Amino acid sequence: MSPSSAPVSEVPAYNPRNYLNSPATGLRSWLTTRDHKRIGVMFLVATTFFFAVGGLFAMLIRIELLTPGPTIVDAMTYNRLFTLHGVVMIFLFMIPAIPSGFGNFLLPIMLGARDVAFPRLNLLSFYVYLLGATIALWGMIHGGADTGWTFYTPYSTQTVTKVVPILLGAFILGFSSILTGLNFIVTTHTLRAPGMTWTRMPLFIWSIYATSVIQILATPVLGMTLLLVAIENAFGWGIFDPARGGDPVLFQHFFWFYSHPAVYIMVLPAMAVISEVVCTFSHKNIFGYNAVAYSSLGIAFVGFFTWGHHLFTSGQSAFDAGIFGVLSMFVGIFTAIKVFNWTATLYKGSISFKTPFAYFVGFLFFLVFGGMTGIALATVSLDVHWQDTYFVVAHFHFIMVGATIMAFLAALHYWFPKITGRTYPEGWGLVGATLVILGFNFTFIPQFLLGNEGMPRRYYAYPERFWPLNVASTAGASVLAFGLVLILVYLLVSLRSGPVAGPNPWHSRGFEWFVPSPPPPENWEVTPVITHPPHDYHHAGEAPPGGVEPEPRHAS
Amino acid sequence: MQASPLAHHFESLEKQAHAARLGMWLFLATEVLLFTALFAAYGVYRFLYPEGFAQSSRSIETWIGFVNTLVLVTSSFTVAMGLDAAVKGNGRRTALLFAASVGLALVFLGFKAIEYAHHFQEGQLPGRYYTFEGVQAPGASLYFSLYFLITGLHAIHVIIGMSALAIVGALAWRGRFTGEYHIPVELAGLYWHLVDLVWIFVFPLIYLI
Amino acid sequence: MAEQEPIARAEQELEHHAHAGRYALVWIALLVLTVTTYLAARAPLPGGWHVAVALVIATAKGSLVVLFFMHLWDQRGANRLVFATSLVFVALLVGLTLLDNATRFPLANPPGSAGALPAGGANREPAPEAPR
Repeated sequence: MSPSSAPVSEVPAYNPRNYLNSPATGLRSWLTTRDHKRIGVMFLVATTFFFAVGGLFAMLIRIELLTPGPTIVDAMTYNRLFTLHGVVMIFLFMIPAIPSGFGNFLLPIMLGARDVAFPRLNLLSFYVYLLGATIALWGMIHGGADTGWTFYTPYSTQTVTKVVPILLGAFILGFSSILTGLNFIVTTHTLRAPGMTWTRMPLFIWSIYATSVIQILATPVLGMTLLLVAIENAFGWGIFDPARGGDPVLFQHFFWFYSHPAVYIMVLPAMAVISEVVCTFSHKNIFGYNAVAYSSLGIAFVGFFTWGHHLFTSGQSAFDAGIFGVLSMFVGIFTAIKVFNWTATLYKGSISFKTPFAYFVGFLFFLVFGGMTGIALATVSLDVHWQDTYFVVAHFHFIMVGATIMAFLAALHYWFPKITGRTYPEGWGLVGATLVILGFNFTFIPQFLLGNEGMPRRYYAYPERFWPLNVASTAGASVLAFGLVLILVYLLVSLRSGPVAGPNPWHSRGFEWFVPSPPPPENWEVTPVITHPPHDYHHAGEAPPGGVEPEPRHAS
Repeated sequence: MQASPLAHHFESLEKQAHAARLGMWLFLATEVLLFTALFAAYGVYRFLYPEGFAQSSRSIETWIGFVNTLVLVTSSFTVAMGLDAAVKGNGRRTALLFAASVGLALVFLGFKAIEYAHHFQEGQLPGRYYTFEGVQAPGASLYFSLYFLITGLHAIHVIIGMSALAIVGALAWRGRFTGEYHIPVELAGLYWHLVDLVWIFVFPLIYLI
Repeated sequence: MAEQEPIARAEQELEHHAHAGRYALVWIALLVLTVTTYLAARAPLPGGWHVAVALVIATAKGSLVVLFFMHLWDQRGANRLVFATSLVFVALLVGLTLLDNATRFPLANPPGSAGALPAGGANREPAPEAPR
């Protein structure tokens, strides 16, 4: 079947008046825009850039670990590399990538709105992001930090490296995150199109909404905590310093009160993307809409009750550890609800195995595998063995990074026609997906084994018996990096010379596919009236909510 | 500012007002959680060092905190009355009441400055700068770290809130708001009440117990 | 979740009702409570009661401000939910963190604190020797 078959509509396949060229095309019109689509695209470009920066650090780490002793950098540089890898990937790529990038682009369109509730705050959010990124980058160039991205005290208050600019950068980035979350919540509450009830909202929005709730509630605590560390580092006020009566474990409480829910800031948007992809590519309504929708809120809520499982070996009380261990496992329930509903959606669906679907499959694998190792790690007695080993590293790379990157790439391919009006080469897409998924597995499965054998994380050198698995991991990382570069190349080529996509190349019933590609500045020519849930393939052929004419459903 | 207060992507002024209010409440929630980290630290260290905290709390001037509480509560009242005037379409009255609140805020900051100067003289300072002879129980320096963090962050909020009240008050004086449209008055007021609310909890924690 | 129409109506009502009298009453109540808490702090009370009384009064004052000055009394739905949720998470952070310190193996608490290792003076220097 060919997704780019001619659309049956009077709307031109490539919408001539779109957000990319209206009202103006100059750089200035982009930098001062209040159009959520342009802001989303700018976020996508910026986060992709930092993804490349973080990936570069990752490759340097893996090359350094290729041999048991020193390979290319000294120990201090190595410490800085893994710190910067973590900081860049988490604060500059994974947290903003899907919500601020795709969320910004899609949320108002899916709601049938003209824009987000506060367009100026939205633009401000982007500039705050840039400011935070610049300060953090400045700190990285002028010395970097060697504390790990977790900035654990008391080391982070004593290190000679320049940890303060990076702390301030992360603090400022938090405001960007808060502004975006605030905007999305208010938009969802106030700008839904007529007929768009809460239970007719696309599942993408439910998940992004839950993400925003976490951003609002958790980020301020992180901001305060980072500020306290910066004050401690610069002035020695003793809040976390045991020599002055402070409790370093308190820092860990504060830090993980944000940073554990932050995992769900990264994973919930991934789930948002997957909920859309799975419907479109199996041409079937989601199985158990309510369960999927409410489990997003469930994850957001329960995610706040689990932070103490990072402190099992830090001197936290056994009583607290027990509570947190049990509560942590509840996240598994809500995640499992989603996984079962996605797989049930596939049943008797008409599946087109396109690139986004390939990433869905990869996502499912990483989520389930990573999730199950998470349940194991939440068991206090087992965690004592695995704490601070490569097992933990592999676990969170699977569930947090693996799932998020799969969803990010799925979203990039799925909405590429909507954002750019053009399609990417499907064959290359599948090759890229295969390389990325295999490369990711070959990078981190050896690390599970290494951790289980007792190799601690963040070590510069290791005994020779860990050598073979480290080589395997580095080889996997190389495949992963090659796959990502390949994807970048063909997507950049497609930007200019890809075939024109038409408004709905996937024959999706998601609301965003009823507007032309690329969407016009006002999103919907007339405010749509929503009469059915999204992805309602039972009603395919009925009048769409507005915008372009429907296409005949592609029978396959 | 655009000529009409209704932005193009809202269907009605009420909906826009609802959005603005909800946005403000969400922002206030982030402010609450910002202070929460400090209150949690206070709770933990008060639990760990009951004696040091009790002695330190007794070593500072309670009456300043008491007077400041009365001042701030009153400023909150004048802000509320300012909103009432705005609802009735009386912009000038709003401006005057907001000006009164700004004045009270300045009184608050003045007392705070006197208090800070006193702490500096006595050496009641955070962490490594603590040289106060009066209280030597463990945890005393932590008390003053938290004291300066909490009251300092609160003072920053007072200054921000004061500026917001001044700007909105000036706009009200120039007749920018009507009985139908006075969302900025309401939002500035909400912010100021939050500043008051935080202080209502700071006062007993720092000064009384 | 919140329905749109009742909110709009409730908030419109809010805009068309004058609240001057109510504000004055709340103000007087706040002044009285402030004086009360000040006096209660000086009254001789058994251990622990000072904290309880002060926090109860602070909560009462805070509720007055939130409900009447900030109008949560008149509003429905989303705004109330937002504020209530933030309070839940305040309780969560303070509660579970304190619970940790309260139930810890005492020597895992910082030196100088109740039940842990002793430390010298106001902890300006680390303890010179490691007492057992």
